[in-house]
Amino acid sequence: MKCVIGGAQLRVFGRAIHAIARISDEFWFDPVEKGLALRSVNSSRSAYAYVFFSSMFFQHYCWTAVSDPCHKEKELSLPCKLIVKAVLPVFRCANVLGRNVEKCSISTSPSDHHITFQLLCKHGVVKTYNLTFQECDPLQAVFAKHMCPNILKVHSRLLADVMIHFPTSQEEITLSVTPVKVCFKSYTEEDTDFSRTMVTEIHLSPEEFDYFQVGVDSEVTFCLKELRGLLAFSEATGVPVSIHFDRCGKPIAFSIEDVLLEASLILATLCEAQKEADSQERCCPQQWGSSETHPDKPSGDEPNSTDISKHPQRDGNAPTNPVAKQEVKSIPRVTGRDVTGRAGTATAEAAGEATEAPYQKFHSLFFGAVSYKEKDATGHTFQSLATASDTEEDLGPLQSSPVL
Amino acid sequence: MAGHAEGRQCLAKRLASTFPGKGERKGGVINTISKLTKTCTLRLTVCKLYFILSDKVANGGASMWCELCQGNFFDEFQMEGVAAEHNEIYLELVPENLSRALKTAHSAKAVKIKLTNKHCPCLRVAVELPSLSSSSRIVTHDIPVGVIPRRIWNDFREPTMPDFDVSIYLPVLKIMKSVVERMKNLSNFIVIEANLSGEMNLKIETDLVSVTTHFKDLGNPPWASEDGCQSSAQGRNLESMAEARIDIKKLQQLLAGQQVNPTKALCNIMQRVKRRLKERQWSGDLTFLCLLSLLPSD
Repeated sequence: MKCVIGGAQLRVFGRAIHAIARISDEFWFDPVEKGLALRSVNSSRSAYAYVFFSSMFFQHYCWTAVSDPCHKEKELSLPCKLIVKAVLPVFRCANVLGRNVEKCSISTSPSDHHITFQLLCKHGVVKTYNLTFQECDPLQAVFAKHMCPNILKVHSRLLADVMIHFPTSQEEITLSVTPVKVCFKSYTEEDTDFSRTMVTEIHLSPEEFDYFQVGVDSEVTFCLKELRGLLAFSEATGVPVSIHFDRCGKPIAFSIEDVLLEASLILATLCEAQKEADSQERCCPQQWGSSETHPDKPSGDEPNSTDISKHPQRDGNAPTNPVAKQEVKSIPRVTGRDVTGRAGTATAEAAGEATEAPYQKFHSLFFGAVSYKEKDATGHTFQSLATASDTEEDLGPLQSSPVL
Repeated sequence: MAGHAEGRQCLAKRLASTFPGKGERKGGVINTISKLTKTCTLRLTVCKLYFILSDKVANGGASMWCELCQGNFFDEFQMEGVAAEHNEIYLELVPENLSRALKTAHSAKAVKIKLTNKHCPCLRVAVELPSLSSSSRIVTHDIPVGVIPRRIWNDFREPTMPDFDVSIYLPVLKIMKSVVERMKNLSNFIVIEANLSGEMNLKIETDLVSVTTHFKDLGNPPWASEDGCQSSAQGRNLESMAEARIDIKKLQQLLAGQQVNPTKALCNIMQRVKRRLKERQWSGDLTFLCLLSLLPSD
């Protein structure tokens, strides 16, 4: 894979890397035919970021790896994992990148596990960064945005103006909406020492939003630190931010989308103890159905019904998925905190088990992570175009999940 | 608990003040203070506000007294203290919180500050910001404060001007600040010496290097006519330098925090047993006084 980013777009790309860097120490670098996808998830699985640059974003985008006839199976452009700390210096000072750098080219050579970033700067200076990557299983999250009753759409400028009132040390904030008002406030736990804590509240009118739909009054609490990265990225692109959410405990998604790129940040929200009665119903594990929730944006072919036997993990895509989302989200959020007070029944159950087990269990449910087995891998190679059409049908279900 | 009960009493009579458009000025003062100290005392009287820091540290410590006329900052100011004969309120607060709350005040339509008691006594700062829609954005910050009981109000008396040896106007603060900042990298202590001929030197000395910056023609304020407490300065040799050795970090913090341009800034050096260095600044309607106590010389 090889692509070239023009000077003007470098600032946007750099901000995307910075936003992703806030989530975790490593991220998935996943070039596909239509463009380049970057993904990251934090260790407690409570935050997931996804940025997709379509091929039109780049001055030049070429996905076909330089083919070496002797190593057919190596041509597979598997996603690779990169260490954020290694990539950040390339895009340090994203703001001034556009001024000093004429273009940046990124190329991967899967055969020797190298990825090269080359910055062509002014005055003939060329900076080359050679990094190694690890091959890894793909990471994909599923989130049914269209099922969220509350949708707000607003320019990132407004959100940035709101967030400036909170100190940089503020971990979590609460967004509270009713059909007639919107309020962002600093999150305080029951045992907060108010004599030491400053509490900030910002009240906005729904008229300030480009789009305002509140189906259910809700109060969701999420991590602000992770959001700031996405807001900075959105400001660089100038694309408005859409916020999809539901009641507390269910994830909240911040996303931006335009012709050249799209990005999503999905955050877990806290499940308030007083709503435990309600959440008990939702937190109970349910049977996985076999029909699939149609995504709002199918990324590929027509969605087919899930074949359970072939892709057991994808049962996570069943209609109960949003429930699973809430279940999952509740638990990771309580890492390092008082578990029982927080997320209701499901948490209490999970807490009883070994620490690793619940995360693994919910990891697969949440992400519908598809691990490529050997034969699937070869089936998925680019060279499959040359093979019989039944291979493409195999591709179908894989592509049609509401993946992000 | 008695103090607390007293506190409740004065909280029940609330302070309300609004000052559109003047937030920036007040923000400047508060920003300065927030850089100097983590907590300080706010004293409210009918016509003035005082920010007080009384640092009991003897050697190398700093204490501060900042006096503002409320009329210059607030359009409306109501206050009722503990009792009629003690019509004052003393609060302990973290100036950084207040500074943060007023961060966007410069573009606000209105700013209201109230003393309330929700979970605990706090200053509620409500900033009304303009917005694209017809209704404004309202930002409220609840800053926790501690109410200081009347029995210890005496701890916060205005510091009396001690007997000083030399009083001199300071050079342009920006220049002094950049000099001190560079000196800070070389040494922990700085010696300020000045005489009554308008000359001042800033000196640092280490094993490897000594650096002195000389200022002249600074001018000496005329104290003679004001009060009679500079008897030690009279009859003093005009050329003889009085010196004071202080912690350079404290001086640098004081200079760095200055965001209000003073019309007059001066420095009084007292080279005596008590040995205190004072820096007093005015800008017409506010007085900012900072005392840095001296370090013993080797």
